[in-house]
Amino acid sequence: MSQVRQRQGGDNKLKVGEKTIHEEKRKESKTPNEDEETKKKVVVSPGRDKQISNAVLFFLTVSSFITRFWNIGYPAEVVFDEVHFGKFASYYLQRTYYFDVHPPLAKLMFAGVGWLLGYDGHYLFENIGEDYIKNNVPYIGLRILPATLGALLVPIAYLIMIESGYPIITAAFAAGLVLFDNALITQTRLILLDAMLVFFMLCTLYSYIRFYKLRLREFTLDWWFWLVVTGVSLSLTTSVKMVGLFTFATIGVAVLVDLWELLDIQRGLTMRQFRRHFFARSIGLIFTPLAIYLFWFYLHFAILNTSGPGDDFMSPEFQETLHGNIMTFQSHDIRFNDTITIKHKDTSVFLHSHLDKYPLRYDDGRISSQGQQITGYPHEDSNNYWRVKPAIPFFDQERPENDVIKHGDYILLEHVNSLSHLLTHDVASPLMPTNQEFTTISVDDDSRYNETMFQVLIVNGEPDTKWRTKASHFRLVHYDTKVALWTHDAPLPDWAYKQQEVNGNKNNLEKSNYWFANEIIGKNVTEDVQPKKPTRELAFLRKFVELQRLMISHNSGLTKPHPYSTGPINWPFLVRGISFWTKDSTREQIYLLGNPFTWWIGVGALAVFVGVTAADAVSRRRGILPIIDPVRNRLYNSAGFFFIGWFFHYIPFFLMGRSLFLHHYLPAVICSYLLAAAVFNFMFVNSINYPISASATKKKITRVVLTAGVGVMTILFGIALLGIASVFYIFFAPLTYGTPGLDVSGVLNRKWLETWDFHFAK
Amino acid sequence: MASNKYTERGVINSLPYSGEQGTTTSLTFGDIRYRKSKHPYKDFQETQIYDLQEEPYRKSTKTVLGLPRRDARIIAGLMLLASIVRLYRISEPTSVVFDEVHFGGFASKYIKGRFFMDVHPPLAKLLITLAGVIGGFDGNFDFKEIGKDYLEPKVPYVTMRLMPGILGIFVIPISYLTIKLAGFSTISASLVATLLIFENGLVAQSRLILLDSPLILFTAFTVLMWVNFHNHYRRPFSFWWWFWMAMTGVGLGLTVSVKWVGLFTIALIGLSTIKGLWDLLGDLRISPEVWAKHFLARALCLILIPTVIYMFMFAIHFLILTNSGDGDGFMSSEFQQTIGGHGMDDTPIDIAYGSKITIRHLNTQGGYLHSHDHSYPGGSKQQQITLYPHKDENNLWIINNKTKPEIPFDEQDPIWIENGAIIRLEHITTNKRLHSHEVRPPVTDVDYQNEVSGYGFPGFEGDDNDFWRVEIFDHEKSDPKSGERLRTLHTKFRLVHVLTGCYLFSHSVKLPEWGFEQQEVTCVKGGSVPKTIWYIETNSHPTLPLDAETVNYRKLGFFGKFFELQRVMWTTNNGLTDSHPYESRPLSWLLMKRGISFWGQDHHHIYLIGNPIIWWSSTAALAIFVAIEIIILLRAKRGYLDHLNVTKEFYESHASFLFIGWFLHWFPFILMSRQLFLHHYFPALYFAILLFGVVFDFFTTPLSTRKRASVALIYLVMVLYVFRLFSPLTYGRPWIKSDCNSLKWISTWDFDCNQFYNSYDQFSIDADLKALKISPTGESSSLTVLNSPDSSEKSEAAETHAMQDDSNDALML
Repeated sequence: MSQVRQRQGGDNKLKVGEKTIHEEKRKESKTPNEDEETKKKVVVSPGRDKQISNAVLFFLTVSSFITRFWNIGYPAEVVFDEVHFGKFASYYLQRTYYFDVHPPLAKLMFAGVGWLLGYDGHYLFENIGEDYIKNNVPYIGLRILPATLGALLVPIAYLIMIESGYPIITAAFAAGLVLFDNALITQTRLILLDAMLVFFMLCTLYSYIRFYKLRLREFTLDWWFWLVVTGVSLSLTTSVKMVGLFTFATIGVAVLVDLWELLDIQRGLTMRQFRRHFFARSIGLIFTPLAIYLFWFYLHFAILNTSGPGDDFMSPEFQETLHGNIMTFQSHDIRFNDTITIKHKDTSVFLHSHLDKYPLRYDDGRISSQGQQITGYPHEDSNNYWRVKPAIPFFDQERPENDVIKHGDYILLEHVNSLSHLLTHDVASPLMPTNQEFTTISVDDDSRYNETMFQVLIVNGEPDTKWRTKASHFRLVHYDTKVALWTHDAPLPDWAYKQQEVNGNKNNLEKSNYWFANEIIGKNVTEDVQPKKPTRELAFLRKFVELQRLMISHNSGLTKPHPYSTGPINWPFLVRGISFWTKDSTREQIYLLGNPFTWWIGVGALAVFVGVTAADAVSRRRGILPIIDPVRNRLYNSAGFFFIGWFFHYIPFFLMGRSLFLHHYLPAVICSYLLAAAVFNFMFVNSINYPISASATKKKITRVVLTAGVGVMTILFGIALLGIASVFYIFFAPLTYGTPGLDVSGVLNRKWLETWDFHFAK
Repeated sequence: MASNKYTERGVINSLPYSGEQGTTTSLTFGDIRYRKSKHPYKDFQETQIYDLQEEPYRKSTKTVLGLPRRDARIIAGLMLLASIVRLYRISEPTSVVFDEVHFGGFASKYIKGRFFMDVHPPLAKLLITLAGVIGGFDGNFDFKEIGKDYLEPKVPYVTMRLMPGILGIFVIPISYLTIKLAGFSTISASLVATLLIFENGLVAQSRLILLDSPLILFTAFTVLMWVNFHNHYRRPFSFWWWFWMAMTGVGLGLTVSVKWVGLFTIALIGLSTIKGLWDLLGDLRISPEVWAKHFLARALCLILIPTVIYMFMFAIHFLILTNSGDGDGFMSSEFQQTIGGHGMDDTPIDIAYGSKITIRHLNTQGGYLHSHDHSYPGGSKQQQITLYPHKDENNLWIINNKTKPEIPFDEQDPIWIENGAIIRLEHITTNKRLHSHEVRPPVTDVDYQNEVSGYGFPGFEGDDNDFWRVEIFDHEKSDPKSGERLRTLHTKFRLVHVLTGCYLFSHSVKLPEWGFEQQEVTCVKGGSVPKTIWYIETNSHPTLPLDAETVNYRKLGFFGKFFELQRVMWTTNNGLTDSHPYESRPLSWLLMKRGISFWGQDHHHIYLIGNPIIWWSSTAALAIFVAIEIIILLRAKRGYLDHLNVTKEFYESHASFLFIGWFLHWFPFILMSRQLFLHHYFPALYFAILLFGVVFDFFTTPLSTRKRASVALIYLVMVLYVFRLFSPLTYGRPWIKSDCNSLKWISTWDFDCNQFYNSYDQFSIDADLKALKISPTGESSSLTVLNSPDSSEKSEAAETHAMQDDSNDALML
């Protein structure tokens, strides 16, 4: 026996009441039940096992490809979110910059397939139901990619269960549940991201299990290999959708539990050894994924080098890095005495004034200055025109009258239509007692000149940065009181025609204080043509951070309700689906709906698992040990791992404010299938294959302590359940594949729940 | 939790049973101390606990009211000190401060019995009302805005302020006893109590008509009772065991009856109870029957008692509020039937052509479909159609069929109105017909909405735009007939405008003054379904026999009303998402980055801000506790048996209870999206300060009593000094600009120094002027900055309600 084994020598003690992942190792010595268990009939010998397993795997894989690829060219129309993801693939091929809340990997993959097929990205997938053939899009090729990955989910699920030490029937049960799930089929045979997401997620689980089984061969090549593969798959998952962070949490918890055990003094590791473990995992599971995640963004920026629909989301600096961007030819230097319009960056309103005054007294009794109103107004109007004049005390006489304005210059803004200067003073604004009121004062009145001076502070500006239209975001800070010109999305009452309130923000550094000059009035675009600037370069990391931040803020901003969005509580029970596509003439429709039988098995398994563990905890507390240790450990460690996977891929959605859909549950539903198989095993299979971890040495030793005893009845029962699942699958197949069309009674027959809002039910 | 690790079957079995079935907890069993120690195990905790019921202890000490004389003296001293600090010049300011706007206002509504809606349960408001009644308040003051004068209308505001003020004082002895009875030193207990006295924020908050002072008191009371209960852990089912547990339940009931924040206190006691039951479960000498008894006892005391108290408070609430008031609109029609002035007589159930009916909108509380002899100023300039919440002749309509001329209904048998029937509605008092056309509505000027108006003149038979089709949407399940034809109350229907296909619709958008601020009625295409649903409330028909079947609203009993009110409170509470100038987020509370401006007038200013020293050291105590816990955990894992140190474990168990208490009163706020304020942190602050006391006790254990006292004293001097510095903001006392500016230690503390004069002389001049009855001249512009509606739940529900409705509109369209 190796050193590692020896280290375990004195550690045969039972440890009850806490989760012991490392239990298995210790149990290599004889357990009290062992004799009894090994006597149980072993249905097949290990050698034949392998052959049967391969045969089953082959059969499942072939069935999986058939179910996913059947009639994949139908419908030859844009379905549901293909609108987005097809479009993004086109943007890549056209190299035009776009913005999306999801990381780029999956979309890059689509673009890659499109490129291989010679598609040039001419079609923009504008509306659901548009014809692909007419538009000459190789949509089948694009769909083959997710369908392939979707088909591979079945064999991976099978292998996960086999690697976790379950018998063939259990593994086949898990794979069968995945195979017959209508929702997974629908979602993975269209140009959508979820196939990639779930595929990489399952790869992560699989490789982590492989890694964990090698834990007694620490720091060997195999060990490192699977550690890094886990990290890579994690990273790929996250590079498809941010949901990958939930996979991170799942693996993270497992790793923390593992490290916590390693830290235990009874494991006998020195702090030095422990640190090695710790750093190995940080390299494998933090740094590798980070590098890969960054790489996709690098590719993203490298490909998208032309101005496109995503420009407006980005900062001016970023936009200038794109070919043909508006900044590069519509941006002009602003000179003194130019007349400009000023637009607020966040709320896109113009700084506006009109001849009406603030009312003497507001509804809450506070008093105003009764000066001319300053508001934010979203439309073009001559009341948005402001002439920029130099502030005399600060104006260097040497400079020409119409010199360009630079960062830090002091200016006055003259409202052209009312011939008055913008002013702010220590009076509370109409809506916010904490902020200062803005108003104007006649140009002839010099008595309050100090209160009309403002400093132009360009974002990221140097002393010689020129103030330019569109390209420069700036803050306008008051000379006298240091407040910044600010506006927010709050309409004033009727006396200001419900226009937006403008006031002075005392915290003048806030990002919401950013404005930009929209255009110079009267300046002909062709006039003042500058030599075409070279497009600007920006460091990759800066671009990355900017984009990442925008993705997160826009993702949480996706709160616009959608007719088919549902709350997470509905998902496990399959309360409602999503209508993807309909065709009136043939009464065909695609409706995303899981296989009710398998989904409800999944929920049932969760309930059983929670019930069993709770009952076990209570009875242990009372000194009763109802489950033999190897089986119990498998239940806690393996099924527990799947449960954590389900938990982390499901519960965080409750905390999200954005609109959510049934397909967000797909990663969790797969976890619930794995758990269902584990529970199936717990209920119907006698014991488990045990132990399954590789021993510390390469030397082959017979160390099988337990082999699962699978009875004929169990196999029949498992196959019967899958048989029922397949019947359900076929029954709902018309909604999954969108063909054939159903008559009214056909639709109504399938409408088991009032809330399944199929089309053509009347 | 630490003990669980060692609780394993082998050990338990190997222990000799002591024989006292069910009298001790399991905590000690399976403890590593049993295995490692060669000496007989002695539970230090047992001896350290300060237990009034411990017989020998009682004999050895002279007591006053059951308290050792020394403690009684200290408590008396502390209470005296607290009374001085908390009640100092409680009559100032003599005008409405901050949320007194609401809570004073509620008191006057209670006195008048006018139904109102508030997001908080009634207890504290009832107490304030009680104080008002005692002071002779007649309810004729509306507390409408901050800064409104109390003296002129002779409001007994001092009595009303004394109620939270005095309740606040009792927090001091309770905190002292909590620390003391948990087994810590007298010095720590006194320290904690003194800190609570000199916490500027608590002082400012507890001397005004606000709810937080009772809330903190009841939370503190609950914790003290729970500590007492735990001191009787080893004597289950004894009288005092029952008593303290029942009192804990009472405390929980009172806390949650003040504010829903009390639910966090319930969560704390709940978690602690679960932990206790789990420990008992592990004690194999306790039979399942006895365990079940334990379980039921806790369910009785900690679930049933609080629920009964909470409901009792609402029973009083309903008993007092019998008259119609501004809260009616939030409630359903069934609920409104129970409020005075809203009752309705039974009305015939069958609707036929020729019925005179009133029609109500189901989804908003806007009221009846209404018209009056005024026209829209814009659009078609035809007669207005609105929703009007009160009973009125102008709500009456006659249902006619589409034929012209109309059938004389009073001469033949009634013809029922089936689903799909096409009808015309004629307004009785003005003889106009309900009409719609392709004109944009007056307020909601959008493409998919059409104006609805009253149209017609004598001799004109009307046109096709007067036709509406009845679509039955839902009906009372017990009355199948109401699904086929219109029946009063039971049928919920939509009205489709036949020519344009739009639905009669209303939403909580008010018409301007020309429409008397009644609710807008439009006709919408594809709008939100719930807002297009109507029902008939009253009905009369000339040919219906007198004994025709009648119907009335379902009678709501107490529980019906109770649950409905809870639901409305919940949605309203969640709807309080407007931003407020002084709101702050939970993370900023830890460091007290910002306070709340309560009041400002005549160069005086009240700003809610805590004593920074106390605040920051309590936060530091939290951090230290977490750090120590982590270190202990890691060391234990590496084999250092810190846990053998019983004293440490004793501290740990108490500190973790307080820490969890703090956590449960703070963390949930992070998940809330409603507007939050610094004062929401006060219950958590109470736990943090207690924890500070425990941490102080822990670190000064090695010191002699004298040294320990001097450390505490030095710290207290600092606290006092800082309290004195900030006291002008706490009490609204005269202050000067330079002093004020020098206290802006953090740039985000936005008390307004510009309000103050440059020197104190100015105040005496003001006083002289006042004496001469000349009002002081203020600089108006700076004053306007602060006379602001600083109230947290200003205009309360009414606005949020409207807002919610609007967002719903957008949602469905």
